Amino acid sequence: MILAFIDKWIQGINNLGRFSRFIFAASKCMLATSFQPKTYPLIWTQMNTIGVKSVPVVMATGAFVGMILAVQAYGQLAAMGLEERLGVLINIAVVKELGPVLAAVMLAGRVGGALTAELGTMNVTEQIAAVESMGTDPVKYLVAPRVLSCLLLTPALIVYADLLGILGGYFVSVIQFKINSGAYWDFSAMGVEFWDIGTGIFKGVFFGGAIAMISCYKGFTCREGAQGVGEACTEAFVGCFISILALNYVFAVTLDAIYKTFWPLRSLI
Amino acid sequence: MIRPDIHPEDGILVAKNLVKVFGKRTVLDNISLAIEEGKTTVIIGTSGCGKTVFMKHLIVLERPTEGQVFFRGKRIDNLRPRQLAAIRTQFGFCFQMGALFDSLTVFENIIFPIQQHRKITDYKALDELVKHKLALVGMDGYQNQYPASLSGGQKKRVSLARAIALDPTVIFYDEPTTGLDPITSDVINELILKLKHELKVTSIVVTHDMKSAYKIADRIIMFYHGKIIADGNADHIRNHPNDLVQQFIEGRVSEADLAALKLGGTKYQTQFLPEDFK
Repeated sequence: MILAFIDKWIQGINNLGRFSRFIFAASKCMLATSFQPKTYPLIWTQMNTIGVKSVPVVMATGAFVGMILAVQAYGQLAAMGLEERLGVLINIAVVKELGPVLAAVMLAGRVGGALTAELGTMNVTEQIAAVESMGTDPVKYLVAPRVLSCLLLTPALIVYADLLGILGGYFVSVIQFKINSGAYWDFSAMGVEFWDIGTGIFKGVFFGGAIAMISCYKGFTCREGAQGVGEACTEAFVGCFISILALNYVFAVTLDAIYKTFWPLRSLI
Repeated sequence: MIRPDIHPEDGILVAKNLVKVFGKRTVLDNISLAIEEGKTTVIIGTSGCGKTVFMKHLIVLERPTEGQVFFRGKRIDNLRPRQLAAIRTQFGFCFQMGALFDSLTVFENIIFPIQQHRKITDYKALDELVKHKLALVGMDGYQNQYPASLSGGQKKRVSLARAIALDPTVIFYDEPTTGLDPITSDVINELILKLKHELKVTSIVVTHDMKSAYKIADRIIMFYHGKIIADGNADHIRNHPNDLVQQFIEGRVSEADLAALKLGGTKYQTQFLPEDFK
């Protein structure tokens, strides 16, 4: 029993080491790819599949988040006569946390799953070995463009989620609950700072990186057969989801500390 | 069958004391082998005997646990990926299931290695080159098709065209006739012979199709549980005294396996008694 437990531990540490080396290799290739115009078409293709095609789902996610927040919070605030402050609550929640996190989770499902399945199938059918056998580094050819696209486009997609979240919240608050439009925006503008929006988008870079790295790694190391690919996809999604939440916690703590260091008085106002 | 005196210059590709261990299983057990230039070497053996793993070591898709691999006298198993990439342009590898990139057309599949290693300036010449390579394997006219719309035999032929795109000196074939009908299998055999004569390449073929092995081989090597148990030309193998070799080439199950099969039933265990098989 104890031996099996130790064995599991060693295996876990082994996997962590392999993943770290994979991240290192992918980052190195990514840098090299960024300066090689020859590889740009590969990046455009991936940007199209990863970024452009994700816009509708991410927008829908954002819109519903904003609308639901408005519906749930209205009752509480209206009871205290503070319904005009609904805008601050919705917009801060959307641009700071819910927009980025839910957009990233949506991407983990849509893009992460597809990346793992695609690379996993390529691995099982020896296509990755074929790339290698022809003297091309598979990490450079297959992983670098995908990670780069995710890294660059997740923040852009978060902007879409934020935008639709704000509009969704506005729509429900002003049209459905008849809150004064001017007051709604005034309170929002007072409460939401550029810092809130900026950090939300900044987090997106890391969420995108985590999604792409984990999904590509799982695809590259997936076991043979349909079951192997299926398991890899599940593990990739769970891994992405957990790391998005964990990263978000880390950022919440560190960014808050940074904010309080530079603007110590503002939080008191 | 261990030859400790093997030298890196003994052949175009030389494996010296190669050992590969996966987990607790020894897949290659101290294999030393020199592949002669310009000849077709066929490696035969039962499934799981380590023949494909051995071939992947020759192109360093797998790194050995112990031992060395030499190409033209230079050690290659310890090279960095970038140095290996340069050497791999001299190799062509035909995978068992073709391993064509299914998101690319036949044309794009064939220009893939060229795009990666050469600067393309003349696109008309590239068209001609692809046409020429496809004509060599009898697949000209399929340039715009996707691999999904090709049959098994056609996929292998396109894969062969891709393997020869960079004019390699060594071509590896991983079970080239497996899963094909007898006629298509023979077409592939003829192609392997044609490429050997026309391009003067060294071929290394892993197969368990004896008909194919006899037809194309200059030298046949048999693996058994990660060891070499026979080495020679077709006639030598045909008349080999080792019973394991004879069983394999005749496709005959051994007495011990047969007995185990007959006694090892579970569902109908009580239907037969051991004396029924005497």
